[in-house]
Parts: sequence; structure tokens; C-alpha cells
Amino acid sequence: MSPEHRAVSRLYGRLLGLYPRAFRERFGESMQQTFDDLYNEHQRQAGRAVLGFVLRAFIETALGVAQEHLLLVSAGGVIRAVQTLGISALISFLLVLPLMLMQLINRRGLNEEFPLVLFIGFWLAPFAIGLMLLPIARAWRRGTHRRPNGRTAHTSTLLTNPVSSAAISLGLLLFTLMQVWLSAVGWAPLARLLNGPNPEVAYLPGQLITFGFGLLPLAAGVVASRPIVHTLRAGGSLVAHPFHLILVLGLASLLAVGFGLLLVDQWPCFVGVPNCD
Amino acid sequence: MFHILLALSGGERHGYAIMKQVEADSQGKVSMGPGTLYGSLKRMLDAGLVDESDKRIDPEMDDQRRIYYRITGLGAQALAAELERYRRIVALAQQRKLLPRGFYVA
Repeated sequence: MSPEHRAVSRLYGRLLGLYPRAFRERFGESMQQTFDDLYNEHQRQAGRAVLGFVLRAFIETALGVAQEHLLLVSAGGVIRAVQTLGISALISFLLVLPLMLMQLINRRGLNEEFPLVLFIGFWLAPFAIGLMLLPIARAWRRGTHRRPNGRTAHTSTLLTNPVSSAAISLGLLLFTLMQVWLSAVGWAPLARLLNGPNPEVAYLPGQLITFGFGLLPLAAGVVASRPIVHTLRAGGSLVAHPFHLILVLGLASLLAVGFGLLLVDQWPCFVGVPNCD
Repeated sequence: MFHILLALSGGERHGYAIMKQVEADSQGKVSMGPGTLYGSLKRMLDAGLVDESDKRIDPEMDDQRRIYYRITGLGAQALAAELERYRRIVALAQQRKLLPRGFYVA
């Protein structure tokens, strides 16, 4: 095996490592052998472009990796995700509903518009906490009825592997922190992206991008919770991944504190104090 | 899947040999990479259309031991059903005189 072949083969092995564990364990070695056979064939036949073959094989295998991960999203998984979204949304709405009613009743004579954006903010915080903690609670309930075995088969490894999920969630958090810092120092390209050419005029694309940035910490929390959910479903311990648990609880606490501070800040408005803002 | 079943109808083959057989059967028109081949093989194994044998060395290749795949009874039935479907389509085309000149079906 030539040094080039060895290097490409090792890189291909890394790519195969991205397959779901069950698939990798079953076919990884054979796929590596087949790739090496094809490489040798291309190298033997003068005139056949090895680079073209390597590129095609890597792209085709990367698509295979994505396909196998997508196929793991079972109908049950989709139903569970929809249930989590629905239950979190409903609980958040029920939490915010009394505040909405107080606002409507106590401020009906003040000729003010209903502060919809404020209530969306109020609703989002417990919704986000629910998205992080509800799957953990459900997995824990399910896991207590199962004999501990440490792991379940046929699941995606990218999000259930503690290291890769930590890397993804920390990457998302770092991106958010970077964006907050750049906004704070008034970095012109970001300010233009978020505020548009005229900062005095409302800029919808910028508002949508800001909303997307706001969802990143939530995504980080959901990703960080996946190894915990995976371990609990298999009957494992809640503290099997202490770092992830700290990360999830930290984010949930941050959102809860934000919700509490907003509530304290806006409380006079709910009880009907004029010019409360 | 049809091409893989057709390739395995001639006997047990390992992954690389299946690819080469598919290429030969289709006169180079069908060429699949490892991602497509093993993704298909997984689904065919799960469906019981193919089976895998123990690892062994291919005397025509290097000294590495390879997993061989073989068609099952169910796989042979599925292949026969698909070929029968093609035969009926060709027969219908023949009946309607849609086949090109020189194309003959017994």
C-alpha cells in the first residue's frame, strides 16, 4: 500500500466512523476493504483518475452517512418530538395565560396596545426549558422500567455520543457568545446584517436572523440533553454524563432566571400601574 | 436492489465483486459506490432477500478475509417476480409493435 493510499484509506476510515454505530460495526470493515479494492483497481489501470474516484467515493459515502442517520429517525421518534413540542408549548401557554388575563383586565382603561412581543418572550422561556427537560423526564420514566444495560442499539451516534454532542452544543454556544460580543462592540458588518441599511427602519430579515441567533442556545441545550436522554432510555444513570447535565441545567436555569427577571420588571404593568414601562 | 440480486444470482460474492458484476451486467451503465452498495445490502439483509456467509479469502485477490453475500430463497422469488414483470412489459411492447427493429423476444 502506497503512502498516499494509506493516508486516503485512513481518512476514509474516519468518514466511516460517522455512520451510526450499529451500521458501522456491521459494514465498516467491509466498506473499508471495498474502498481499498476500488482504489487499487484505479491505481492499477493507468489513465483512470484516482483523485476523481476518491472524491466521488467520499461524496457518495458522506451521502450514505446522512441517509443512514435519517433512517434512524423512526416514526416513533417523530411522534415523540411532536409530543414534546406540543406539551412544552401548552405548558408555557398555561403559565403565561394568567399574566395575559391580568394585563387585559387591569389595563383595559389605559388605551394601550396589547404587548404581544413581550408575551412571546414570556412564552418562549418555559417552552425552551420544556424542550430541554421534558425528554429527560420522559426518558427517566421509561428507563426506570428497563434493566440497566448502559446503551441502546440502532441510534444516531452524532447526537448520542457525549463527545460529539458536547462539541456541537459548545460550538453553538460559542457562536452565540461571539455574536453577542460582536453586537456589544458594534461590529459594523453584523450591525448592518441585523439592522439593515437604515437602522431607524424596522428590518425584517435582520429580525428573523436575530430570532434564529436566539434559538441557538436552545438548540445547544437540546443537543446537550441527547446523551442524557439516550443513557436514561437504556436504564442508565442521570449523572452518567455530568458535564452534559450541568450544561442542560445551566441553560435551563439561565432561561428561568431570564423569565423571573422579566416577570419582576413587568409586574407593575400586570397589576395596572399607569406608565409602568 | 434488482441489480444486486441479479449479480448474486450467479453465486456468492463479496462487496467489490458485487460492484464489478453489476457494472458488467449493465455494460457499465450502473456503477455504485460503497455507500450505496452497503446501504442497499443492509436493507436487503433486513428484508431477508440476501444472507451473509462467514469471512473467507478470495483466491483471486489479496489475503484479506471478506464477508460474502448470497441470495436467499425469498430474494430469488423477488428477482423472478421482477424479471417476470419486465417480461410482460416487453411482451406488451412487442404486441404493440413498439420494439425497435432487430429486437426479438422468444
